[in-house]
Amino acid sequence: MRLCHFFARIGPVRIGLFVLALLFSVPSRASSYDAPLPPQLSSDPDLCAYAPCRDVMPGADSFSPRQGHPSYVEAYRQAGTTRQLLGYVFLSTDIVDIPAYSGKPMVTLIGMDTKGVITGVRILKHSEPILLVGIPESELTRFIQQYVGKFAGAKVEIGKSLADEGQIGLDAISGATVTVITENQVVMRCAYAIARQVGIIATVSMPAARFTPQTDLRDWKSLIDEGSVQHLTVRPSELGVASTGEPYIDMHFGYLNAPVVGRSILGEADWKRLMAELKPGEHAFFIIANGSASFKGSGFVRGGIFDRIQVTQEPDTYTFRDTDYQNLYSIAAAGTPTYRESGIFILRSKVFSAAYPWRLRFLANKIDRQTGTKTFASFEREYWLPGRYLDGGRPVVNTPEPTWLHVWKTKWLEIALLALLLAATATVYSLRDKLVRRATRKKKNWISIPKYVTWTLSIVFVGFYGLAQPSITQVLTWLHSLVFHWRWELFLSDPLIFVFWWFIFITVLIWGRGLFCGWLCPYGSLAELSFKIAGALGLKRFQFHLPMPWHNRLRWLKYGILAVLVAVSFYSMSIAEKMAEVEPFKSTFLVGGVWNRAWPFVLYWGVLFVLGLFIERPFCKYLCPLGAGLAVPGTFRFYGLKRKAECTDCHACQKGCGSLAIDDAGVIDRRECLLCMECQILYYDDHSCPPLSKERRRRSKAGLPLTPIAANGYYIPIKPIGADKPTEGAAT
Amino acid sequence: MSEMNTPILPPFAQERRLLHRLVYEVWDHLWPWSRHGFERQRFIVALSLGLGAVVSVAWLLAAAGRIGANATIGWWVGWSVFEVLVRRQSKPYVKEGPWWGTQYRRADMADTICYVTFKNLLIGIVLFLAMRYFGALDFLQGLPELKWLYI
Repeated sequence: MRLCHFFARIGPVRIGLFVLALLFSVPSRASSYDAPLPPQLSSDPDLCAYAPCRDVMPGADSFSPRQGHPSYVEAYRQAGTTRQLLGYVFLSTDIVDIPAYSGKPMVTLIGMDTKGVITGVRILKHSEPILLVGIPESELTRFIQQYVGKFAGAKVEIGKSLADEGQIGLDAISGATVTVITENQVVMRCAYAIARQVGIIATVSMPAARFTPQTDLRDWKSLIDEGSVQHLTVRPSELGVASTGEPYIDMHFGYLNAPVVGRSILGEADWKRLMAELKPGEHAFFIIANGSASFKGSGFVRGGIFDRIQVTQEPDTYTFRDTDYQNLYSIAAAGTPTYRESGIFILRSKVFSAAYPWRLRFLANKIDRQTGTKTFASFEREYWLPGRYLDGGRPVVNTPEPTWLHVWKTKWLEIALLALLLAATATVYSLRDKLVRRATRKKKNWISIPKYVTWTLSIVFVGFYGLAQPSITQVLTWLHSLVFHWRWELFLSDPLIFVFWWFIFITVLIWGRGLFCGWLCPYGSLAELSFKIAGALGLKRFQFHLPMPWHNRLRWLKYGILAVLVAVSFYSMSIAEKMAEVEPFKSTFLVGGVWNRAWPFVLYWGVLFVLGLFIERPFCKYLCPLGAGLAVPGTFRFYGLKRKAECTDCHACQKGCGSLAIDDAGVIDRRECLLCMECQILYYDDHSCPPLSKERRRRSKAGLPLTPIAANGYYIPIKPIGADKPTEGAAT
Repeated sequence: MSEMNTPILPPFAQERRLLHRLVYEVWDHLWPWSRHGFERQRFIVALSLGLGAVVSVAWLLAAAGRIGANATIGWWVGWSVFEVLVRRQSKPYVKEGPWWGTQYRRADMADTICYVTFKNLLIGIVLFLAMRYFGALDFLQGLPELKWLYI
């Protein structure tokens, strides 16, 4: 009761603010999380003036300016009077644009010696929420240290080494699978690209395209429809710049060496002239564009490089100089739209093959509206000549499988087991009417055994093993994706969470939030199970409910926390991620034990845990923003729980309701109900439900039979045989 | 009896023709005002008309990509708060049981907040997806006639 008075004095809002302030004030141990990087890092010729190049290239004492495409710097050591080339240092964002779990790239500095062996890796900046406060920085450092000594051309994958397939395995970071798979792609693709460029790894030429002898001409629409001309649009909103009423850039492009495409675009004479100019291994592309920006680049000068467009064909990237450019004065194809800018570009490479897919990449600076900082962004569109223009058709291309698919294949067993658990729980719950009829207030095994099994599996398998604890941060990510940029890959990258969320979405609408919160939430299960165990171990006499007036005030706290988190997330997602530490989920399941965290988290977790031994699910009832979020749609659940007319003035169910979801009028609060089934057991229990019990006693005294209890919770009425038949002569 | 809420029937709930009932119901979700509410809340009605016009412009700007997502959400929240106040007076009921059913219950404040929040979220999602799918966003973004609305 003293605790209640304490709450009474400081008030629920202050408690919430205190908790948030305490957690928010904890300094992050992840030093590279959203670390501010100098804007010159991505563009200045002297990369190593802004990046710790010596850290990834031990022994180097000087570095060259940026060079090459994609760019790298050479690392030197002074040996007497000569400078010895030690290797190369490169920045990942100069080479690849692979978003990690956060949707943002992990900016990584990589060093590689002259033999192609990686000498050091350093993550300069990342935005991975799990590495913010869930997993210590030392885990990330340990992970990237594994790359030192690996050859750039080696097949390095997360997981076990497979000697037969020449695969080198790396140990993952538990709980950050997607992050490490992405980082592996970043490091190995960058190292491979630079190793190829500097000649460490020999270039493997693909067979050159051989064109079919077609001569028919096509109009613009036909070229678009068949894919001979591709379209790439970038909107101002994608770059964070103010809109001018037109796209930032709106480009059409195509490959001119293909006779039908070239003739259709340039006309017969111009195409023949162009082809006559080209030497073997040279390829011509055209680009036309509209929009507020220029694909040639506003800073382009003669003698310079076109810094806004590139052609990529894995693993090579091609840029264009002014000598690679020709004017394109008109397009012959009928129906060509008007355009503001045009050009023909010559790609000079014997490695490039038009028979295989390639991409046109548009490069731009993206402005973060929250911070005003500029970051590198690229937009791509794939181009692959239609098979009919290629002698023998399109060759078979082994496209590397996307990260999410790799994760799904790796975790197929866990996914199947989770799906089985969810399906079994839903089946048990849908059979609740049969189960509660078999249970009584004193013997609830038909309900309690499935619940104990579900709780245990949820804690052990879903929580500790699968690390699949749903969290409000996922809801915030979902909301942001909806507003800003939806990426299925982001959600598919964590299959257990993906499957779990689909289950939650569906069951919240059907039965309310109780099936997840009350039966399947790993943390909720842990809280309830520890409460039950504490009771069984002798603490039952100390266990209590908060008085209803206080419960009714405190329960709104979780909605306030939810509202604050949603509002803050649109100001700064990283701040919201930190504030979401109000959920003790990471401390419980994701960090290998709460003792691996800073003391405020341990204290907070400990207070909640100890409170939970005496009060049933205090976090779920009063603080959980996820529960609050699910309560909103759960208000309109399709199928509620059964009640009787007498429930308005009978408080038997109310006393047994652990989640305090039944008010004095007998109304079940859908937002608070955790589907514990206590009230439904009573509903059919003729020894505990007062109206049923009363009727049982009346019939027993009167010597009347106890008929089965109907679905409405009452004994089936006794009707004398023939009572429902019309009496003789009464029928008309 | 389910969960002991006070049943209530909106005027259109007696409609037996499925299509008519569906149209009434869609209208009920989209139009927060009622004749009964109009008569009781003259000030709110006047405010509604102005706010409705402003929200329409804000929505158009958002659809055309002229205002940021944060501002759009601000408008969305502001409108939702206003809609809660209106519905508390004019349509104080929410659906009970399956959404395809015809049972309603009297809504308390929390029910109304949950209803408006959830419904407007769904409407927002459907609108954005539909406009993106049908190319309306591209059309609006390239419409010179909307330039005077630029922020």
